[in-house]
Amino acid sequence: MLGLKKFLFRGSAPASLPGDVRASLDVWRDSTSPSLTDLHFHTRYVVVDIVSSGPNPDSDQLLGIAASSVWKGAIQPDDTFYVDFSTLDGEGAAVDRQLTAFLLFAAKAPLVTYHIPYVGGFLQRALKERLGVDFQPQWVDLAWLLPSMFEDKGDSVMPLDHWIDVFGLDAGTGRRDAMANTLLLARIFQMLMVRAVGKQIDTAAQLIDESRASSFLRRTH
Amino acid sequence: MTTQQQSGQEQQQAVGHVEMSLRQDGRARMASNTQAFLRNHAPFNKMQPDALQRFAEKAQIVFYAAGSEIVGPDSGKVRYFYLIESGKVQARQAGEVTVTEYSILSLGAGESFPIGAVTAGRPSTNVYTAVEDTFCYQLPAEDFLALLTSSPEFNLFCTRYIASLLDQSRRQLQLQFSQRASEQQTLNSPLAGIGSRSPVTVSPETPLRAALETMSKAGVGSLVVAGDDRKAVGVFTRSDLLDRVVLADLPLTAPVSQAMSPSPFMLEEHATAYDAMFAMATHGIRHVLVTDAEGKLTGVVSERDLFSLQRVGLRQIRQAIDGASDVAALQQAAADVRQLSFNMLAQGVGAEQLTQFISALNDALTRRVIQLNLENHNFDGIEWAWLAFGSEGRDEQTFSTDQDNGIVFQVPEGASVEDLKKRFLAYALDVNNDLDRCGFPLCKGNIMASNPQWCLTLEEWKDQFSNWIRMPQPDALLNATIFFDFRALYGKSELADAMRRHLLAQTASNPMFLRAMAKNALDVEPPLGKIRDFLTDLEPGHPGKIDLKKYGSRIFVDVARIYAMASGVHNTNSIQRLRLAAQRLSIRSDEINAVLEGLNFIQLLRLQHQYLEGEPGTQGDNLIDPDTLNELDRRILKESFRQARKIQTRLKLDYQVQ
Repeated sequence: MLGLKKFLFRGSAPASLPGDVRASLDVWRDSTSPSLTDLHFHTRYVVVDIVSSGPNPDSDQLLGIAASSVWKGAIQPDDTFYVDFSTLDGEGAAVDRQLTAFLLFAAKAPLVTYHIPYVGGFLQRALKERLGVDFQPQWVDLAWLLPSMFEDKGDSVMPLDHWIDVFGLDAGTGRRDAMANTLLLARIFQMLMVRAVGKQIDTAAQLIDESRASSFLRRTH
Repeated sequence: MTTQQQSGQEQQQAVGHVEMSLRQDGRARMASNTQAFLRNHAPFNKMQPDALQRFAEKAQIVFYAAGSEIVGPDSGKVRYFYLIESGKVQARQAGEVTVTEYSILSLGAGESFPIGAVTAGRPSTNVYTAVEDTFCYQLPAEDFLALLTSSPEFNLFCTRYIASLLDQSRRQLQLQFSQRASEQQTLNSPLAGIGSRSPVTVSPETPLRAALETMSKAGVGSLVVAGDDRKAVGVFTRSDLLDRVVLADLPLTAPVSQAMSPSPFMLEEHATAYDAMFAMATHGIRHVLVTDAEGKLTGVVSERDLFSLQRVGLRQIRQAIDGASDVAALQQAAADVRQLSFNMLAQGVGAEQLTQFISALNDALTRRVIQLNLENHNFDGIEWAWLAFGSEGRDEQTFSTDQDNGIVFQVPEGASVEDLKKRFLAYALDVNNDLDRCGFPLCKGNIMASNPQWCLTLEEWKDQFSNWIRMPQPDALLNATIFFDFRALYGKSELADAMRRHLLAQTASNPMFLRAMAKNALDVEPPLGKIRDFLTDLEPGHPGKIDLKKYGSRIFVDVARIYAMASGVHNTNSIQRLRLAAQRLSIRSDEINAVLEGLNFIQLLRLQHQYLEGEPGTQGDNLIDPDTLNELDRRILKESFRQARKIQTRLKLDYQVQ
């Protein structure tokens, strides 16, 4: 188990990073991952959404991260995170600190998002390039999990707005900011957990497995 | 610790600070998202920005799938205040006894629950279930309570909500009573639906013979005499036939107007059965004519209509009292008063009217005792009055009230004060003992007319009042709380008026006295605990109980007395005192109404307790165990005590009592 963790979060910080960032990354690396075998209610999930300059994680820029935890059945205002990189034009050390702060906030909790290749892609590239971190968290991808959990409401991967409509959520008018999007995802995730429990998917580990399976099955069939 | 490690820790703090500030940004973003919802719903749309911000920063979002229970009596002490963001929630009464007028209530977006329970820090009485998929904002109880104290708008919203519960609970209490009583007819219903809609009417010019034939044909015992404009001018009954026709030697050709009882008592259609009942008790009449707004006759309500199903009739009691020739007859009437009072309680008469009603009948009873004893004592040519003090003086009697009375008299020129006083004392002793036999126990503190201290001439009373006011010693203040609530029950009421004028003039010119009264009134505080809801260990010998009189109604009564004296209000009844004083002192009416609701609720609980708990034939007490109350009553009792504390605080400020 320890070997696996080393493997997942391997590597060390580049020497060019400020000392405080390197120290914090060491703390993060040495921290233990939370248990994934507790019931959903006791598991701290971090719902995350990003803002980018375009759709391509390999060429476009990560501009912001909005995250919020779902824990003890509730979206907790005291446990939310928002960073906007676009205001820090070129201040490298500041961006490094903020990315590190995100890692500390997430604290190796399972991450919930909509469409891993997009969100995960941007996060992985930024963390690799700037901090030398190979970011391999436990993902729950709502884009794949929703059609498999709510077969009655949609049977394929669909845009998020479809699910917002289906669940009758108030998405407001006009463009949503990343935090509004994260909070909508968090609400959808709360609904999904109830459905999951109905299917005897009671723990984070089971939910992560289900997420992997759903994306694998759909991609290969 | 090495320098390197130390600097490493400091450096790590730099990222820690960044994390903290980005967490704050996250919270602010989420809060503004929540605020967008709050701004569309009352009372949040009226709240100050900082209060709104505080709510939004603490409100968690939770989801309940259709069919799941959100909170209920079994979930223990309520930990959150819930505000529905979307979906539907059903509130259902738990247990067998419904305590609010709804049994199932549906709540939608923008509505919140369970306000009463979260304010009281107790389990909810209702079961709240999501009937659709529902999202709620949940505010932790401690943040909810902090918001109650910091946001006046939010506080008002919750207070109003609880006040509406107060009203509901009062009605519910009465419902529970009426299930016990056989009588289901409600005394709150308007006269328009009661009694005869087509009373037999004749014109004033109708000859007696024709009028009697009409009565005989219609098989009725009474007629209404009305003009062509359908405005009633009199009533003619069988008993008038004996007294005013046969015995008065009136020819049957005479018009009915000569034999009728003129100026009949009339009430408009929207008056209630209670009003009619009260009029019958007060005026000793048997019928009340019902008119429309223009005074045109629309019906007649008889005592029989009101009490057809009741074992004891009001007029029967009045008749029994007025016609009683000895104490034994009055004892039966006193028992009937108690039974009738209970029936009225069951029928939904509020505490204010009911205590007045009991007082009215007890007055009649006491007057009859006074009259009967006058047969053995002669005070012809002497001006005097029998005075009632304390709760009787305030028209606030409950089922068990002991005697508080006195005599005021004027000494005719040349007569000896001492001789006259001896005669009055001997007379008063007989009255006091007879009243005791009729169920008004002798006063333990000997505040009775047979005590030479309280059988005084007008001048002696005035001197007594002046002494208390000029030297507000503790015992003077205690006496003031009893004796300043006086009214004349029998005899020359002008003597009591003179006492009142003197009293008000004296208090007006001695501001220190009212201040001393205020200080005295603040000695006892409502039994609200800091941790527990109620303090139940204040009465030695009665652990677990609250004296609702000492720690409840008396607080209101004491404050009412001070404000009445300060604003020159002549009334002695606490509710009237507070209403009138509030007008004169420009206290907001919603504020004073909340106070009166509180007093009324406590009085109603006392009445309920005395009837339901009291052993037949014994004097009920005022000691209740709050744990035996249902959840809502307990909640409302707490709110009532808060109202008591509120007027005490006001008194404290007004009289600068430390």
